[in-house]
Amino acid sequence: MIGGLLGLERRRARWAGQAPPGPVRDLLSTPQPAARTDVAELRLLAIDLETTGLDPRTDHILAVGFVPLDGLVIDLSGATRLLCRADAEVGQSAVVHGITDDALADGLELGEVVERVASALRGRVLLAHHAVIERDFLSAASQRTHGVPLLTESVDTMQLQARVLGSHTGADLPPGALRLTTARAHVGLPRYAAHEALTDALACAELYLAQVARLSGGRPLSLKALQR
Amino acid sequence: MTDLDLPEVTDFLAEHAPFAAVPREDLERLGRHLTVRYARRGTHLMSVGKGNDEVFVVRSGAVQITDENGSLVERGGEGTGFGTTALGGQPSRFDVVAIEDSLLLVMSSEVFTDLAGRCSAVRDFFSEQREARLRHALVSLPHQDRHSAVLQTRLRDLLRREPITTTGDATIRAAAELMAREQVSSLLVVDGDRLTGIVTDRDLRTRVLAAGLDTGQPVSAIMTAGPVTSSPDAIAMELILEMTSRNIHHMPVVDGDRPLGMLTSTDLMRLERANPIHLVGDVAKAKDLDALVLLSQRLPRIVDQLVHEDATADGIGRIVTAVGDAIEKRLITLAEQALGPAPVPYAWIVLGSQARLEQGPGSDQDNALVLSDEARPEDLAWFESFAAFVVDGLVACGYPPCPGGIMASNPEWRRPLREWQAMFARWVNEPTPEAVLRSAIFFDLRILHGERRLVDALHAQIAATARQSGRFLAHLARNAAHNEPPLGFFRGFVLERKGEHKDRLDLKRGGFHAIVEIARVQALSRGLPQVNTLARISAASGAGALAPETAANLHDAFEFIRYVRLTHQARQLREGRQPDNFVSPEELSSFEKRHLRDAFHIVRSAQQTVVQSYPLGFVT
Repeated sequence: MIGGLLGLERRRARWAGQAPPGPVRDLLSTPQPAARTDVAELRLLAIDLETTGLDPRTDHILAVGFVPLDGLVIDLSGATRLLCRADAEVGQSAVVHGITDDALADGLELGEVVERVASALRGRVLLAHHAVIERDFLSAASQRTHGVPLLTESVDTMQLQARVLGSHTGADLPPGALRLTTARAHVGLPRYAAHEALTDALACAELYLAQVARLSGGRPLSLKALQR
Repeated sequence: MTDLDLPEVTDFLAEHAPFAAVPREDLERLGRHLTVRYARRGTHLMSVGKGNDEVFVVRSGAVQITDENGSLVERGGEGTGFGTTALGGQPSRFDVVAIEDSLLLVMSSEVFTDLAGRCSAVRDFFSEQREARLRHALVSLPHQDRHSAVLQTRLRDLLRREPITTTGDATIRAAAELMAREQVSSLLVVDGDRLTGIVTDRDLRTRVLAAGLDTGQPVSAIMTAGPVTSSPDAIAMELILEMTSRNIHHMPVVDGDRPLGMLTSTDLMRLERANPIHLVGDVAKAKDLDALVLLSQRLPRIVDQLVHEDATADGIGRIVTAVGDAIEKRLITLAEQALGPAPVPYAWIVLGSQARLEQGPGSDQDNALVLSDEARPEDLAWFESFAAFVVDGLVACGYPPCPGGIMASNPEWRRPLREWQAMFARWVNEPTPEAVLRSAIFFDLRILHGERRLVDALHAQIAATARQSGRFLAHLARNAAHNEPPLGFFRGFVLERKGEHKDRLDLKRGGFHAIVEIARVQALSRGLPQVNTLARISAASGAGALAPETAANLHDAFEFIRYVRLTHQARQLREGRQPDNFVSPEELSSFEKRHLRDAFHIVRSAQQTVVQSYPLGFVT
């Protein structure tokens, strides 16, 4: 847990020194947006993963969707969907995400997926709904394929939604109030088909715009304030 | 679904016009060129007067569009598009405000222009949106005050009862009884559906009572046969001018030959008197050229006044033409008085805008002489002096000579009927692009004075032959599309690059005159007799040559562009300058600029259609 006590930039710098040359090292050696950066300037990458389960140590990434945000503008030209060729069988999780073993046979090697994500994430803050999942799975995948974790700042739309709903922990909210679909409906966003990585990433990015509009009320809002 | 597809974006676009018409592959590609933004309720997305480089489509939520006066143009939810009117940094004509929290799909002007260039459905959709907003603009024009509105009433709206008719073989007594019973001062004499004459109180007094005529005689013995008539589409002002200048009190209104009713000077009593009436009355009494010249100087004031009163451009065109007609007719009478009677029958014809009842202040004169075929070489000298008298008189009265020399003073345009017929036959049957360009003006032709049969013969020939010459029509159509509206694609107006009118906008060539030319092709292609542009548009629509929507759009565009021109010319007249068609963008209000652009878009799209309708493939 020593690492947890060091600053993120220090840890990133340390891992960058051990990473093989390429996108993962570039990501780690590129500075993250400063904590005081205003949301109007903040560059993020909304990411959603489809996985075989919830444990990064035993479960696998099946698909990654991501779409960049430059300030308060979602740039669809950067929207990307990657399928990952998994070692394990998809099994029962196919019921949820609809990705079959056959589709995955055409997917990318995990190492390449990690590098594609790292390239897109460079200089950006990771944005996800319940971001700990995306952060931990990507980090574990990177550890496995490149020997170093993927360390970035992150913003979590699930936590932001709790604040939009006037709650600090979310514990006082009705069950399901923070789910992506429910959260979007609450702020008046259209209903999307769930559980497709790129659609969910876009859904998360749009939710972020709606949340920021509510939380800032037109006043400046910094990265640090988003992570509070 | 490809790796690049964004189903929630593509599916959404596919469900909304105009994107529904775009092929799926193109939509997927389009989706990847968009950005997504979010606006809270109350956010201003576009503001009047501010430039813009993007086109927006509401993904969810709702927006409200209002014009510069704050009046509502449109309120729209999912799928509503806006922003095309202010592309390229043009100042926006509208305020657009999110009235609900809204998610917006945004495309850059480059992406939109590319899409519109490739997909006609998208182009058409947004041009229709422009047209709808132009109509909003016409409605927003200041309301005409009662004074001018009254004088612009269409004659069909002044007719208050069914026509009271008799036949030529009825007795004078029966006719007089009918008049007494119906309490009218005149009767329409008909043969079946056709008007053959009129009988008035005065005829009964002077031709029956005073002459001691037997009242058992037929009405045909005392009626005025082949009377002057008016069209139901003429306006009250024209009727007043016509009746005043001819000193008559009864005017049958006919649709073709079919009588619709009678209008009398009493019917017009309710209508206010206005300056043009006095002017035309005075012109008809003018003793000599000097008197006419003085009178003609009143016209600019009248135009200025009409523009101020917000008369329609069409109405003002008709009034200016009526004054021009009166001056020209008076000159003809003065010439005949000076030179003695004509050696052979003739018709004095007017061409171009005057023939179409669309003369503007400062319009050139375009006229010609059709002589009876009996004319001998020694008769020609009389007509030469005659034409010189009228043409020079017109110049003195402020009607500049036609730069192309199309005037009766030019021997080329002073010919016996058979030569005119041969010329028209050549123009129609052996069209060359240059000949069609030069002769087009002769297809807008109206008799001003003289033997009607000479001109009827030409009208009949044109109506019968022009429609059958595909090559002639194709050349006319090509000419109609030749002058593009002075409008860049989303980049504002195209100004004159050099010369006297540098940095000004030509309202005529690719503007209202293009509409004149389009209407001409459509009318000639169906053998329609109308000459007035709006009448041609409406008749062409009735004959199926123009879609009703296109006709309505052209009508609006024609009115609007000419309205802007008249405002400009009235200003020039006030400053003592010669009126022209070149307006500087600075003198246009933002309202005029924006709606002028819409009108030019309509012209451009009608030009494309007319070229397709009369394919150039026929032209060798």
